[in-house]
Amino acid sequence: MTQVKLISAWFGGVLLIAGLFGILESGAADVFLEATRPDFQKISLGVAGMQNGGGPDWLGGRIEEVLKKDVKRSLVFDLVDLPSLGIKTHDIGNGMGTGSKAVFKQAAEKGVSVLVWGKTGLKEADKEADVNMEGFVYDSGSDEVVGGKRYTGSSSVVRLMAHRFADELVFRYTGEPGIARTKIAYVAEHGTARELFVMDYDGYDARQLTADGFLNLMPRWSPDRRFLVFTAYRNRNTQDIDMIELSTGKRWTVISLGGLNITPALSPDGNFLAFASSHEGNSELYRLDTRTKALQRLTVNPSGDLSPSWSPNGRELVFVSDRGGGPQLFLMGSDGSNVRRLTFEGDYNAAPVWSPRGNWIAYVCRTRREYKLCVISPDGQKRMQLTTGPGVEDSPSWSPDGRHLVFSSTADGKSHIYMINADGKDIERLTFEGTHNSAPSWSPAS
Amino acid sequence: MKKALCTCGLALVASIALIGMPGCSKKSIQSGGDSQSTQGMTKGGSSDSSKSGVGSFPDTGVQSGGGGLQGLNKNPSEERVGSGTMLAKVDPSSSAGRQMDEMLAEQAASAAAGLRDVLFAYDSWTISEDGRQALNRDAEWMKSNPSAQVKVEGHCDERGTSAYNLVLGEKRAKAARNYLVELGVGANRLSVVSYGKERPFCNEHAESCYQQNRRGHLVVKTGK
Repeated sequence: MTQVKLISAWFGGVLLIAGLFGILESGAADVFLEATRPDFQKISLGVAGMQNGGGPDWLGGRIEEVLKKDVKRSLVFDLVDLPSLGIKTHDIGNGMGTGSKAVFKQAAEKGVSVLVWGKTGLKEADKEADVNMEGFVYDSGSDEVVGGKRYTGSSSVVRLMAHRFADELVFRYTGEPGIARTKIAYVAEHGTARELFVMDYDGYDARQLTADGFLNLMPRWSPDRRFLVFTAYRNRNTQDIDMIELSTGKRWTVISLGGLNITPALSPDGNFLAFASSHEGNSELYRLDTRTKALQRLTVNPSGDLSPSWSPNGRELVFVSDRGGGPQLFLMGSDGSNVRRLTFEGDYNAAPVWSPRGNWIAYVCRTRREYKLCVISPDGQKRMQLTTGPGVEDSPSWSPDGRHLVFSSTADGKSHIYMINADGKDIERLTFEGTHNSAPSWSPAS
Repeated sequence: MKKALCTCGLALVASIALIGMPGCSKKSIQSGGDSQSTQGMTKGGSSDSSKSGVGSFPDTGVQSGGGGLQGLNKNPSEERVGSGTMLAKVDPSSSAGRQMDEMLAEQAASAAAGLRDVLFAYDSWTISEDGRQALNRDAEWMKSNPSAQVKVEGHCDERGTSAYNLVLGEKRAKAARNYLVELGVGANRLSVVSYGKERPFCNEHAESCYQQNRRGHLVVKTGK
């Protein structure tokens, strides 16, 4: 496919790890994830440049670079290289003149569905901190400039301007909010401690959230993106589930029953917190009604039960239990009813996360002592291994559009955070700093 | 500190309003007839519920969709782009220094006591013969130091998931504790905690290192 070649030409700078391709398991050859379905037609889109009309030299180029990466990651668009199609993008001007008409005509003839261009500049000559960006969209199907956006803000938010424009493009063509403005919460080593951090979905702008000096683990987002729930070691001897409000940094303990209290997960409507606790002996699953504080035990078993993840409609949970020996995935109603085993292949399957689209459950599967990413359909009929090679993969988490996963891997030595398409393609490393980054959790879309 | 948090929780709980009934039924099936410890039915009564191990909860349901996107416009008006999700500056906590001081005190006390650790096989929480010998010596020390409190930390190697390794680490710590109790050490003098694969003793990707990290680590508790 020439398209693939074009994209890799554009994004040679993006770290794509060769050799890690999705592998179809036996009997699963008819599996197609949405983005790879034969009938899934990506919309070809070309970015005709961001002209710098004042402001710092890097401004236009930065926005164009971020926008292109967002467009590519959306998996809604095929990013095409306009110059290599012979389209002279500088003729587009302001999109009004005869030069731009010629560019539109060329694009339509070459099969480019959407053209995007814009300009950047200083908002006011005397206010150096404020920059602005205008972006416009031509649609060759309707042969018109369908509209645009004008953003203004401080020079520290130019990446967010590009992200916002990218999400508007996705919204225009799919009705979905896009993922370019989403965040990833994760754990990073800070000295000898492990603390919570949040970064943009593309790995930029990491911020530290906790500084206890010991362990804070496995953050998960609230449905409204305002809070994280996580496993906290208040001191070195007791271990609770805490909640933190991102905008204020306010933090408090929500579960302190004694014993091990781990893997909290809020239901999609925010009305229940599912978690594992060993306060009655071994690790069992519980469900807390966040309004009445009624605590319901969901599992009764002498083995370890943990890692609940909600189905998108909140009616079911997938979880891990080692009731058969090694850890395996099980399903049950969110009230603890109708427990049944989901995975039978391999002797170690753990860390399940239910796709926001409902059709897949991603998890860590062990093959020959390697811990890799797998997906399985909730009916157990389809299974696919997404990663291969050395390194321990852990903690998969879905993007809110269900087209990507983030996870941690030791493939490059230290544990770092990576993004991968739901079909196992396009691995992109997101973290490069520090000695240990793990437990990524992708925020809901805003 | 605690008071401030409670106030915040109350305010947030008080702001609950919009969310409709949940999709799931309200009847609570008690799995296997097991007794459940139902907490008080206080509406946002954070002081009551915090005693029972459950803190206050804000409303975290999604108020609106759309993501603040306004669509493309032929004559776009200016939108101001803020810094996105507001993130508070992290509080440089005094807890970090205290944790470090306490850890150093524990390490010193444990080294002075000469306590031995238990090492485990891959995927296993069974105490080996070597492990039993180590614990026999530890039990002797505890009997001759009857006021000492010991914490058994469960550790795992990096293979496996964070979450399951916390459970595995707890099984290892409890296996070591149970053996010490069998040897006659009072259960009230022993506590367990699991660190899974989060506090490794070494960081190499090699079996020699993995073995060091599959451990029940005995620590003399200092202070409270």
